[in-house]
Parts: sequence; C-alpha cells; structure tokens
Amino acid sequence: MDLSPIWLTLKLAGITTLILLFVGLPFAWWLSRGRSFLKIIIEAIITMPLVLPPSVLGFYLLLAFSPQHGLGKWLQGVFNVQFVFSFQGLVLASVIYSIPFMVGPVKSALQQLPSALAEASYTLGKTEWQTFRYVLLPNIKPSLLTAAVLTFAHTLGEFGVVLMIGGNIPGVTRVASIAVYDAVEQRDYDMANNYSLILFAITFVLVIAVFVFNKYQAKSPLA
Amino acid sequence: MNKKRVLFLMLAGVLLHGVALAQNVRVAAAANLQSVITVLQKDFKQKTGIVIEPIVGSSGKLVAQISNGAPFDVFLSADMSFPETLFKNGFAEKKPVVYAAGSLIICSSQNIGFINWERLLLSARIKKIALANPAIAPYGKAATELLQQKGILDDVQSKIVYGESISQVNTYITTGVVDLGFTTQSLIKETGSKTKLYYQVIDPKQYEPILQGLVLLKHAANNPNAEKFYQYILSPAAKKIFTAYGYRML
Repeated sequence: MDLSPIWLTLKLAGITTLILLFVGLPFAWWLSRGRSFLKIIIEAIITMPLVLPPSVLGFYLLLAFSPQHGLGKWLQGVFNVQFVFSFQGLVLASVIYSIPFMVGPVKSALQQLPSALAEASYTLGKTEWQTFRYVLLPNIKPSLLTAAVLTFAHTLGEFGVVLMIGGNIPGVTRVASIAVYDAVEQRDYDMANNYSLILFAITFVLVIAVFVFNKYQAKSPLA
Repeated sequence: MNKKRVLFLMLAGVLLHGVALAQNVRVAAAANLQSVITVLQKDFKQKTGIVIEPIVGSSGKLVAQISNGAPFDVFLSADMSFPETLFKNGFAEKKPVVYAAGSLIICSSQNIGFINWERLLLSARIKKIALANPAIAPYGKAATELLQQKGILDDVQSKIVYGESISQVNTYITTGVVDLGFTTQSLIKETGSKTKLYYQVIDPKQYEPILQGLVLLKHAANNPNAEKFYQYILSPAAKKIFTAYGYRML
C-alpha cells in the first residue's frame, strides 16, 4: 500500500498548524482587545471558512491563481510560484480553510483572562509584546493546545478545496482524502478502507486527546 | 376530514408521485457528454415529451454509483469496458452497444501552435498539462497511451495534473490554469464563442479508438420511457447531433 498520501496529509496539516500559530495568535490577540466595526467584519471573514462549502473557496482560488491573468500571472512572473497544482497552494488553501479553528478558541481564551493580568504587567514596565508573550500566552496554554490540535485535525479532513485546485498529483497534491475518493471511484474498496481507517484512527486519537486534556484542566472548555 | 381520508390522500399522493417519477428517465452520462446530453435531452423531449434527468460524471464514478444501487435507467459511458462490467455483474439487461466514437484533441486557451506538439510538450514553456484520471476516465487513458506511444510520458510526467473527469480537465483548459490539456473534441463546440480555444485533433490512428458504450440498466425494468430513450440514442436523429459535436460514427 502506498503510504505517501498519508504522509502528505500529515505534512500539510503540520505546516498549516505551524503557520497558523504564527499568523493566528497575533490576530486573535488583536481581535480580543476591544470591539470596532472593522474587527467585527474581519472576524466574520475569518469565520466564513466554517460555513462556506470548501468548493467555493477552491473555485475562487482556482480563478485567483490562474497563471493566465492578474494575481496568478504576477506571482508566476515575479516569484515563479504557482499556487494551483502545487503543495504550497494546498498549504495556502489550508491556512485559509483552518483559520477559524486557530483564531476562535485563542481569542475566546484571551478575552476570558482577567484584565488585571495585563495591567499588572504594564505597571511593571513590560511592553505590549512582552506582556502577550510572557504573561498572556502562558495563561492560555490549554486553549492554545486545543486550537493547534483542532487546526491540525481539521486540515486532515480537507477535501473539497484540494479536489478543486490540487490536480491529484502523486506525492505533491494527492492527499489521503483524495486517495480515498480515487480508490472508491476505481472500486478498490480495500484501499479506500485502508486509507479511511488510518485517517479515522489519527483524527479520533487527536479528538480524544483534546477532550481528555481539557478534562484535566480546570478551565478551558472547547471554545 | 377524518383521519382515514387524510391517510388515503397522502398514500395516493405518494403513489401518484411515484408514477410521475417513473415517466422521467434518469440518464447517467460520462463527463465528455456534458454538453451534447443537453442537446439530446431537448431534442428527445421535443419528439416524445419525455423528460430526461442527466447525471454527469466520470464513467468510473457512475459505475461505482450504479454498482451500489444508484437509481439510474440508462448509462452512456465513455468506453466499452465500464458498461461491460455492469452487464457482467447483472446491472444491465443487454450487452452494451457502441453509440459513438470519441475524438481526442490537444487543446489550449493560448495560441501556442500544435504543429509539432510532442516537442512542445517537452519544452520549458509548457509547465502544466491536464489529463483526465486514466484509471476512471477513458479519455485520460487514451491520452496516457498516446504519450506512452510517443515515448514522452516519462519526460512530461512531472508536468501532468489529473482532473477527476474530463469536465475538470475542460475547466483547467478554459480557465488557463494549465498550458494545455488532452480532451474531447466536443469541448470546442460546447464553448463556442465563449472562450477562444486553440486545438488540434489527434490522428485517430495514434490511440485505441474511444468506443463509447450504451446500456439499459436493470432499474429501467418498469419504465418504458427508458427503452424509448435507449432506442433514440441509436437513431439517425441522435447520430446527427453526436456528429455535430465531433463524435465519429462507426
């Protein structure tokens, strides 16, 4: 059995989670402080991947990154990168697709912290960044872990976007979910079952881990 | 209204609904028929008044669905082996018959000149080539065989992207996300003046003919309209439409 789709899926989920840790945390922090109309709009946009069919995202990415015109042409010309039919394209799509899973829980956790924490830190002369890094983040560790694991697990389940912009290239864009689809179409149910069982086992363990971990943490529900 | 009467009316409604549905014919059609099927649908409705409900997808996918009990009446495949499989497994009444032969073309949204396309595929300016998944789409299989026979399959392998059916390949070509692709000639007729496409018909001698097979499925047993549609597909009227869309008649 060819395990490369499984590795590719894990690689994609890992890289996506890492990127979202770097991009998503400052974002969640910014969103957690105060409300403005702009923040409401931005938060709504970040939440969209939860409710939009992945095919919609895939469709717009396909148009946006076509090397024939506009953005895709510019990227191809200036940086020689192509976001359709490439692994980096899947990474970009997954980052968009999984962003609510990273930003949502972290933002809620930050908002639930007592404001005295940050204020005490400021009075001790710490900068905003230092406060965020050394005071706030350590206090929301459980939520951070939950967000990271859910982001990872959610990316494992990606299918519609990849089907639209992936091109089913072995070792490059043929992730496990696509391999299952392919196997079913070829009526190779044994192979479909193998991939499916592996995916099921991995995601189940991850979700159980989150639940168990949260049970032993006094605070931090799945929010 | 008493309860019994309501029940009776509901039951009658359900039954009548069933009868009404039985008059329609569900046609599973290979992805290369995407556009021609709508023309056939209109023509058939004009001639008989019978409504066709087309379900379009890759032949492999449709066979998988039919094998798992999908309620389709007629199957128009992109090859002969898929319908033969269905017949062997008892999903079809009769052996499959050929209704058309497909024409493979090489096609692009840019004017790149296909005079010497084998060399063009190898050149650095061609970065992505779209093929339908050869395991489930006969046109993809034909294109793969063609590249193999030309001895360039291994060299261009890294440039190939796979559409899950010929429809997706057509999307890739018309949106220009690939430089070129191998597809069915009916795409040209179908896009008309919407998108300017450049293409060359591949010499039919260079690949195994794409014989497209038709079967009447077991599900159609109590739907006489399905049989009518089956006969219509083999009629001169339908042949004329197929020919207009670039299919060859054998």
